[in-house]
Amino acid sequence: MDAEAQDGFREFVAHRSSALLKTAVLLSGGDRHAAEDLLQNALIKAAGRWHRIDEPEAYVRQILYRQQISRWRLKWRRRELSVAEPPDTGTGPDASSATELRLLMRGALARLTARQRTVLVLRYFEDLPEADVARILGCSVGTVRSTTHRALARLRTLAPELTALDPAAGERQQPSRDYSPVEVRP
Amino acid sequence: MNVEELVRDSLRDMAAEEPSVAPEFADRVLGVRRRRRTRRLVAAAVATTTALAVAVGVPLLDAGRQHARPAHAVQPDGVHGDTEQWPPRKEIGAGGATLAAYYSLKIHKQSAGWDLAERTYWLLDPETGRYAKDTRWSDVAVAPGLRTAAVLERTLPAHRIGLLDLTTGKVERWIPVDRGVAGLAFSEDGRRLVATTYDKNPDLVRVGSGTKGTGAFNVLDDVSRTGFFVLDVASGEGPWSGVAADRNVTYRHDFSFSRTGEQVYARIAGSRDGMQQFYDLDGNMIAAPADEKYLRSDVPARLSPNGELAALGLAKEVGPAKSYSSIRDPRTGREITKVRGAELLAWVDDHRLIAWERTTGLDGPYRARLVVVTIGSDKVVPLSGEVEPYGPSQGWTPVFARS
Repeated sequence: MDAEAQDGFREFVAHRSSALLKTAVLLSGGDRHAAEDLLQNALIKAAGRWHRIDEPEAYVRQILYRQQISRWRLKWRRRELSVAEPPDTGTGPDASSATELRLLMRGALARLTARQRTVLVLRYFEDLPEADVARILGCSVGTVRSTTHRALARLRTLAPELTALDPAAGERQQPSRDYSPVEVRP
Repeated sequence: MNVEELVRDSLRDMAAEEPSVAPEFADRVLGVRRRRRTRRLVAAAVATTTALAVAVGVPLLDAGRQHARPAHAVQPDGVHGDTEQWPPRKEIGAGGATLAAYYSLKIHKQSAGWDLAERTYWLLDPETGRYAKDTRWSDVAVAPGLRTAAVLERTLPAHRIGLLDLTTGKVERWIPVDRGVAGLAFSEDGRRLVATTYDKNPDLVRVGSGTKGTGAFNVLDDVSRTGFFVLDVASGEGPWSGVAADRNVTYRHDFSFSRTGEQVYARIAGSRDGMQQFYDLDGNMIAAPADEKYLRSDVPARLSPNGELAALGLAKEVGPAKSYSSIRDPRTGREITKVRGAELLAWVDDHRLIAWERTTGLDGPYRARLVVVTIGSDKVVPLSGEVEPYGPSQGWTPVFARS
């Protein structure tokens, strides 16, 4: 990487890294240090191909998403979560205000798998259509659709108070043995 | 509002709250990239050498036997050490914690019964991964990212603060200050400096008879610390706040930022030595933040990166050469577990720390080395050679920074 490329890289990081970090934090379930680690690795990869990248931000974002759902990241996250205090999964009948619901949602988002969380970030934070999410993650539209569906179902399982927002969905969803390791409150 | 809308709102709330990236993030990324490339090249060279050695047969293997354990070993999980010696020549660190510098402390005779406890620093060049002696500075604080250090020249209190580029060894910028400064510390994001002001050199001490050379200072002089600046590193500007005199503070008691940067604290001198007093940024004494009230100034590691665990002091020693320190709930002070290590120095990640751990039995002189310890495991990974950390010359004091 020559001096000119380094200057360009530094300028890109100075202007765009805060926005990229926000995405990385969401992908990491709110873990700032894991997010910095994720972004750092993505930027290192981008630096290695700097001369050949036309759209650096799109390139770095793609690395962020794919890196997050890669096998290594999944393994690493499991290890991180193994000693973390489980978030409070419910606050009873008082959990009705918007603020409380968002807190519940944060805790639940942090407990999704990396793949589920990544799909939700792409669909609902980046507002990307399913086809674009499929292209970024290198999977089919059907996989994006089913992962989104499962992720939302898992959120309702982790925070049963959320089903009050969409009772019909609550009735539809039955915990699946594939992704319901937590106790479902009566 | 349905669940999808709540997901959208929650994600946007989380993103909006996230503070921006430290200004030197690009340098940090490029530095890590350089180090990784260097290690890959070294690994490739080692692999090539091994292949050649196998190819030419036994004589070459015999010739290389004494170098079978490299002094600077990079391990798969990012742990790298210089296990043959202390003080180290090559980079020591693990995960997010790197030994950014170390210093020796020597006492020089001055006039009229005064002695000067003077530091000499060795600083890590993040590009070469080697430590080099730099005698220009009396105090050094290394910013997160390892690219920049704030430095003070030899004569204290100093009226300017240097921002040193650790790769070139040159001061990139001087920040003038209108009150004498003798101590520096960065905030966690590296954007601000707290600079402690004194009205005389806080390293000037009187050493009582019989204690010379042991590092046990017997100080009888009046109060010297006056307050602190909180400086914005980018602009070099920031207010000064006076701090009420404390008659116990008669030598260096520098301020550091709390975890959030909304308060500063300094070690308490006197009856509760080792505990810490917090101040708001106007210099008023305040109660400790809820998650820092059980921390001690003599345990440098403090809170884990996620803030959920507090590193505390030595809990027990069992022979031979095994110590355990306490890991506590930062809010209740309740011990959660014990972890290997006699002195917890820096968190590597949320489960591992760098610590001093003794290498000698309980009946021998205390010798130690830097190790990585892991919560839930009795194993330690050596990082350095052995040292007598509290010897007559105070040994070398490690200075860790987030990489």
